[in-house]
Amino acid sequence: MTTSGGAAVKSAPWKDPSARPYVQVDRVTKAFGDFKAVDDVSLKIYKGEIFCLLGASGCGKTTLLRMLGGFETPTSGKIFIDGEDMTGVPPYERPVNMMFQSYALFPHMNVEENVAFGLKQDRIPKAEIKERVATMLDLVKLGDFAKRKPHQLSGGQRQRVALARSLVKRPKLLLLDEPLGALDKKLREHTQFELISLQDKLGVTFVVVTHDQEEAMTLASRIGVMNHGEIVQAGTPSEIYEFPSSKFVADFVGSVNMFEGKLIEDEPEHVRIASDDMGGTIYVSHGISAPPEAIVWAAVRPEKIFMSTAQPAGTDNVVRGAVQDIAYLGDLSIYLVKLPTGKVVRVTQPNTSRHAEAITWDQQVYLSWDATSPVVVTR
Amino acid sequence: MRPFAQQKGKHLMGSVRRMAILVLGCVFTLSACGNHKSASEPAPGSADTDSGKVLNLYIWSDYLAANTLSDFEKQTGIKVHVAYFDTNETLETKLLAGSSGYDVVVPTASYFERQIKAGVYLPIDKSKLSNLKNMDPQLMSKVALHDPDNAHGIIYTWGTNGIGYNGKMIKELLPDAPLDSWRLVFDPAIASKVAKCGISVLDSPAEMMRAVYSYLGKDPNSQKPDDLVQAEAVLSKIRPYIRNINSSEYIEALANGDLCIAVGYNGDVMQARDRAREANKGIEIKYSVPKEGSILWFDMLAIPKDAPNKVSAYAFLNYIMTPQVIADVSNFKRYANGNTASQPLVMDSVKNDPGIYPPLEQRQKLAVQLADSADQTRAITRVWQKFKTGQ
Amino acid sequence: MKTAAYLRRFGISGRGLVVALPYLWLLLFFVVPFVIVLKISFSDIDLAIPPYKPLLEWVGKNSLAIKVDFNNYAFLFTDRLYINAFLNSIKVAFISTVLCALVGYPMAYGIARSKPATRNLLLLLVILPFWTSLLLRVYAWIGLLKANGVINNVLIWMGVINEPLTLLYTPFAMYVGIVYSYLPFFILPMYANLEKMDWQLLEAAEDLGCRPWQAFYKITLPLSRNGILAGSMLVFIPAVGEFVIPALLGGPNALMIGRVLWDEFFSNRAWPVASAVAILLLILLVPFMMWYQSVQARESAGAR
Repeated sequence: MTTSGGAAVKSAPWKDPSARPYVQVDRVTKAFGDFKAVDDVSLKIYKGEIFCLLGASGCGKTTLLRMLGGFETPTSGKIFIDGEDMTGVPPYERPVNMMFQSYALFPHMNVEENVAFGLKQDRIPKAEIKERVATMLDLVKLGDFAKRKPHQLSGGQRQRVALARSLVKRPKLLLLDEPLGALDKKLREHTQFELISLQDKLGVTFVVVTHDQEEAMTLASRIGVMNHGEIVQAGTPSEIYEFPSSKFVADFVGSVNMFEGKLIEDEPEHVRIASDDMGGTIYVSHGISAPPEAIVWAAVRPEKIFMSTAQPAGTDNVVRGAVQDIAYLGDLSIYLVKLPTGKVVRVTQPNTSRHAEAITWDQQVYLSWDATSPVVVTR
Repeated sequence: MRPFAQQKGKHLMGSVRRMAILVLGCVFTLSACGNHKSASEPAPGSADTDSGKVLNLYIWSDYLAANTLSDFEKQTGIKVHVAYFDTNETLETKLLAGSSGYDVVVPTASYFERQIKAGVYLPIDKSKLSNLKNMDPQLMSKVALHDPDNAHGIIYTWGTNGIGYNGKMIKELLPDAPLDSWRLVFDPAIASKVAKCGISVLDSPAEMMRAVYSYLGKDPNSQKPDDLVQAEAVLSKIRPYIRNINSSEYIEALANGDLCIAVGYNGDVMQARDRAREANKGIEIKYSVPKEGSILWFDMLAIPKDAPNKVSAYAFLNYIMTPQVIADVSNFKRYANGNTASQPLVMDSVKNDPGIYPPLEQRQKLAVQLADSADQTRAITRVWQKFKTGQ
Repeated sequence: MKTAAYLRRFGISGRGLVVALPYLWLLLFFVVPFVIVLKISFSDIDLAIPPYKPLLEWVGKNSLAIKVDFNNYAFLFTDRLYINAFLNSIKVAFISTVLCALVGYPMAYGIARSKPATRNLLLLLVILPFWTSLLLRVYAWIGLLKANGVINNVLIWMGVINEPLTLLYTPFAMYVGIVYSYLPFFILPMYANLEKMDWQLLEAAEDLGCRPWQAFYKITLPLSRNGILAGSMLVFIPAVGEFVIPALLGGPNALMIGRVLWDEFFSNRAWPVASAVAILLLILLVPFMMWYQSVQARESAGAR
């Protein structure tokens, strides 16, 4: 799951305050009537990144992407690309290309003509167009399909035509709207890696819109999680996953067990939380910034919970429950354990052995986790 | 010919409707045409098998007095179903297609003449028409030129073709314009001078050709190809000065001053005159029968050979010839009738209107429009097409 | 129920009837009239009821003679009038079609791109004129165009002109009438076509460097070709035979084949020649219809 951003960016420029962002979104709002599709978003995206905008449908991610492409005009705020203010710059004058969710291939043109379309528009010499189209089609492994019309292609092939068409103009910034949404799971996984290697090869900056957190995790150098028109957290996939800044992010990215509780010890080095939800105390080995006695939430990932029949040592981070349900997924199994408080905790255990001593339904088990595992969020 | 209160454009609206009738007529009526009826054959059902209780009348719209039909129904107990046509072509197409279902129809004499030759009409048994004695023998003898011995029909109304004009407008352009002559329209030297105030002619090739022949001093019913060539030359010279070629528009156009000269029917010009008076804008429309001569037209009452109710048809013809009945038609619809006995009952305002009853010296210049041969008709149509379109 | 069973005995089923119905329709309202008109076109004019001679005639007791007269067709080529009228009708129909396309395309486009709620209203407005008779609508144009009509009066009132313009009985008036009357026939198929259009293709084109008009020219226009063709044929084919509108609005010099046919039928009473003109008109239009059919078939088998 946390394959980490396979992007070309190894240097993490977002950590360098002096680095110049390639795309800068500055307090952009887009309102449709009373409804704010994008609400005061600021964002910096750096050269060579694959930046994923992740969110449920209607969260404003596509609207933000379309504003980058020039298909929507911000109600307020500004967008800079390569330092240039894009206000009033129409799509056809932006150094940007977009791959549409529906692919938007021209049905009356064959593959070759589709890919060549943008180049012809730029009045590039014929010979060069031919060569660049051929190279690009080879790159997306469609060399043999040049004369086919879009309706004669499979979904995956169309996706690659769309990609080739948007890349052939060598944009500095490529916008991809749910690029893999229409593909089946196997093809999607395969294509994800193809996209990454392609991006690596061409050095283009990608901004990808997706609702699929797994896809975002696989592709992204950084993810911007969006909710209700706002970016609630932006960071590398592991930051988002391991250090979610809010209940929403923790919940949205991967699955999580959320324990509500009251801060009873607040030290710089650790905190302790009394959780009625859990029916015990949670010890976290780092400090947080919250007022004493505040209500906070401790989020524990299912794979970070140990399950045993014997009682572990210590009193913190331990709780007893009964196995309510088991889902065997092959590589791992998901256990739903019901605590005495009524809360159901999700636990995943890798199936490391083929003949593991099976924990079965209704069995009493102990759940525990390391003090480093919980993430405490205050909202 | 054309009833008094015809609305503008009806001529063409009728044409359109006729196209539909043509198509449908072809499908239904003529599909039964395998049994082709020749002219001489008596129509089936000609025996007086009808009940005498119904009459199907096919007549120009707005051509009867308000009480004409109701009085007839009261007197005879015959129920009248009336349908209206707006051009002679409509009537003729129905009659030629056969089995029209009408008992009495009202064709104009020139059409009537040809239709008789096609075997459309029932020879009238004059013993069944006691009121025939009321008819004007002089007019009847004119009609006999179309229908020898008046064997197939009786006169309903009659009138003339002539020139409707706005004297004031013409005088401004040409003070000594010959208002009582076809030269006003057909002499290029004159037409060119008055063209500015608007000249209109009827879109009716056979009638217009009569006018040209009269202007040229020829027999109006000439069938000579040479005469037609000369007529064509006259028409081509005046074409640039003709604003409208239309058989209905001129009524309103004359009345509101868009035209100053219109070749037309007396009834229509009278209508334009009345409209101009009502509008009260100082426009005075007059009608003249050109001194070179013009057409005398008759609208006839006749019985189709295959009329289903011949008893009723005879009753209706006889009824119409009752002096008071036809006098009412003249009084209310303001058309001259051919019934001598009715004249004392016709109002003075109608009787003495030169636009309705032409003065004697005008009548002498009038000729009937005899039917042309098929070839002559085609030749005239062609000349007219050339005149209109230049092709 | 009983009748159904009865009919089935003769091999007539409900389904068969439904399939047969369009053919029956075609037979009754196209084939039969066509055959009758064709028959008349081969006969001779006669002063009788009906006014033409029969094709079949008993000669003697046992022999039936068929008399087919091709002269009516030959005659149409002896006089330039007929050819000119055909050509002029095609010219008028062609210009009208182009005008309909120029006016109707933007309207269909506007409707297709409007909000669904407005779209229905706009479509209704397009169809609305059909609720009154064609003649009434054409007469309304007379009222607008005549010398003391609405348009002239407004222009004079505004001081644009001093003398009324001659609008009525001109080619201009005729084209106004034809375009006005046939416009819905262009807009409706055009709209049906544009409505299916994926507008994201235009964004894609703009994204790839097209200005909006270039995107229209390179994407929308080629993709809506089918609609243009369908609409054009629906305007062109009836416009060739148009009679009413040129007669009412056009000048007397508008030489249309419909008018020539009218003259043959009503003025000359030459039903056979009129029928020959009608048959020739049909033959003339067949290539257009076939071309349209083949393009339609190719399109539906191909790209879309």
